[in-house]
Amino acid sequence: MISLSDHLPILLIAIPILTSVIMVFLKGSPVLQKNLNVFIYLCLVIFSIMLLQKVWTGGIMVYEVGEWGKYGIILVADLLSSGMVLLTLIISFLSLIYSLDYIEKRSLNSTYHSLFNLLVAGLNGSFLTGDIFNLFVFFEVLLLSSCGLVVANERGGVTKSSDKMEATFKYLVLSMLGSIVMLIAVASLYATMGTLNMADIAVKVSAASAAGPLPWHIFAIALLFIVVFGNKAALFPFHYWLPDVHPTAPSPISAMLSGVLIKIGVYGMLRVFFLIFSVALPMFQPLIMFMALATIVIGAVSAVGQTDVKRMLAYSSVGQIGYVFLGIGMGSTLTIAASLVYLVNHAVAKSMLFLTSGGIIHHAGTRDMHRMGGMIKSAPLMASMFLVGAMSISGIPPMGGFIAKFVLFKAGIQDEFYLPVAIALLFAVFTLFYMMRAWMKMFWGTANEAENHGNAASHAPTLLMIIPIIVLAIIVIVLGLYAEPLLALAQATAEQIVNPQPYIDAVMTRNVR
Amino acid sequence: MNNTFLSLTIAILFGIGTFLILRRDIVRVIIGLGILSHAVNVLIVSVGIFDGTRVPILSGSHNATETASSVFNDNLAEGILSPVIQAGTHIDYVDPLVQALVLTAIVISLATTAFILILAYRIHEEYGTTDIRELRRLWG
Repeated sequence: MISLSDHLPILLIAIPILTSVIMVFLKGSPVLQKNLNVFIYLCLVIFSIMLLQKVWTGGIMVYEVGEWGKYGIILVADLLSSGMVLLTLIISFLSLIYSLDYIEKRSLNSTYHSLFNLLVAGLNGSFLTGDIFNLFVFFEVLLLSSCGLVVANERGGVTKSSDKMEATFKYLVLSMLGSIVMLIAVASLYATMGTLNMADIAVKVSAASAAGPLPWHIFAIALLFIVVFGNKAALFPFHYWLPDVHPTAPSPISAMLSGVLIKIGVYGMLRVFFLIFSVALPMFQPLIMFMALATIVIGAVSAVGQTDVKRMLAYSSVGQIGYVFLGIGMGSTLTIAASLVYLVNHAVAKSMLFLTSGGIIHHAGTRDMHRMGGMIKSAPLMASMFLVGAMSISGIPPMGGFIAKFVLFKAGIQDEFYLPVAIALLFAVFTLFYMMRAWMKMFWGTANEAENHGNAASHAPTLLMIIPIIVLAIIVIVLGLYAEPLLALAQATAEQIVNPQPYIDAVMTRNVR
Repeated sequence: MNNTFLSLTIAILFGIGTFLILRRDIVRVIIGLGILSHAVNVLIVSVGIFDGTRVPILSGSHNATETASSVFNDNLAEGILSPVIQAGTHIDYVDPLVQALVLTAIVISLATTAFILILAYRIHEEYGTTDIRELRRLWG
């Protein structure tokens, strides 16, 4: 008897890949394509809830693809990965609904659905895999599909085609360099430890460190992994591609990129450093913390100077990802739990802000904040939704962002990281400043009677664009008012991350044939 | 001796690749990326050939204790890391896994290179040049 719940990890990867193929063949019938894709995403969301529930009650779940045990590819669902999968699917479901009306019809029918499915498959795969080379493969899947999505056209043509090309070129070159670095790291790790399974590598590294000093190249490999995941997450010295790519992408894709895709770097850092290099971790924590603080400063200062609304949001993403890494750099259970809470809150609020900015720029016909003004009369819904998101990002009480910042700073002070917390707090004020300035610039002031400020055709947001924004806004407020379940989940997840022994046991004590 | 030449080749390939991706021409950057990814491929293959014909995943006494049910048996104390080989077998092949890895890496780099070449063509159409200094429209 095959029960569905035993095969959830592979289903969450296989269904999007299969759907992506089906969507190519359904090019001729757009309505069927649309409805089928929405239905499949609904199923996927339900599956991911089932997976999280199963992992929460039944412990870490290991799925063997083939019957090779730890020598083959395995999928591992622990609390971190299943939680990230749930977050990914919720945000991608809402982005998908939003993009049905936002993306230009021809773009939507031809490649958009397929690439979107591949992106989700890549995300789910890299969260669920237990094999470090497979992680690289899924990184490449999501890199290529996201590049294809960034060049998709939105209605009205607010972003020029040449901008998209240039941004994608930067993104692709830097990401290809990142994947080359990752391949070097994986190959060196394989040459040293003789295995690709992450739990197996962890066992061997700890055995090697128990036997004597670790070989020096383990530390070099760890540094290479910081480069790789820093590049994915846009950490300070590697962040230059992000402020170009995320604004030029169509808004639902910006929401996916800023909401989920840069979290891949956070996930990889948590997985690789706390599982594999846990013995070398104390050496790298100050480095991660320094990079995180630099990211916070650079992101906040750059965001203040932006006139383009989506570019400002992208720089704010850079700053916010610094806070997440700050919690990882402090490295105790409490701070990691705090940074996970921060991650979830930022994902929801930033996706919502990007979706809202899509509505705003379609209403105004331009992305330049200086040319907007007084839109609170003509677009009251967008104004209030942007305010909810801005309040959450800058950490004002009823919203989820406040809880996230509060928990992070409290955990930091408890572990006596006074200076980093002080710097982070100072630049949190910057966040408040640029978010509120943007809101006032766009929605207050003298109303520009002619709504069409720019060259692009403007139109009001439709119902399909409004519903996802409202759902995300409700999630933001609920996360702020009723934060206990998320806090409990983050605490349990952080305990699993800091103490990887159950993970290793779950993977290693399988019956190999 | 062999290893020295291999390392030298990899180093030179990395050098050429790095030189090329620092050029101003888009096409040269792309060629540089291709050379870099092939340097990485050679590096991965060289992981498999290690000290003559020995397999890198075996070290120490080369022997796994054969159990009744399974030939997979790690023994970290004796330095046996991943013995897919049964006790007393003469080993005369290179690691097959790295070749599978390199095959995957080649396919992936094919896909990314194809995409970036098309992108370069579109950039040439939009901007009328392949000079990276001319690509400044996003800068305001």
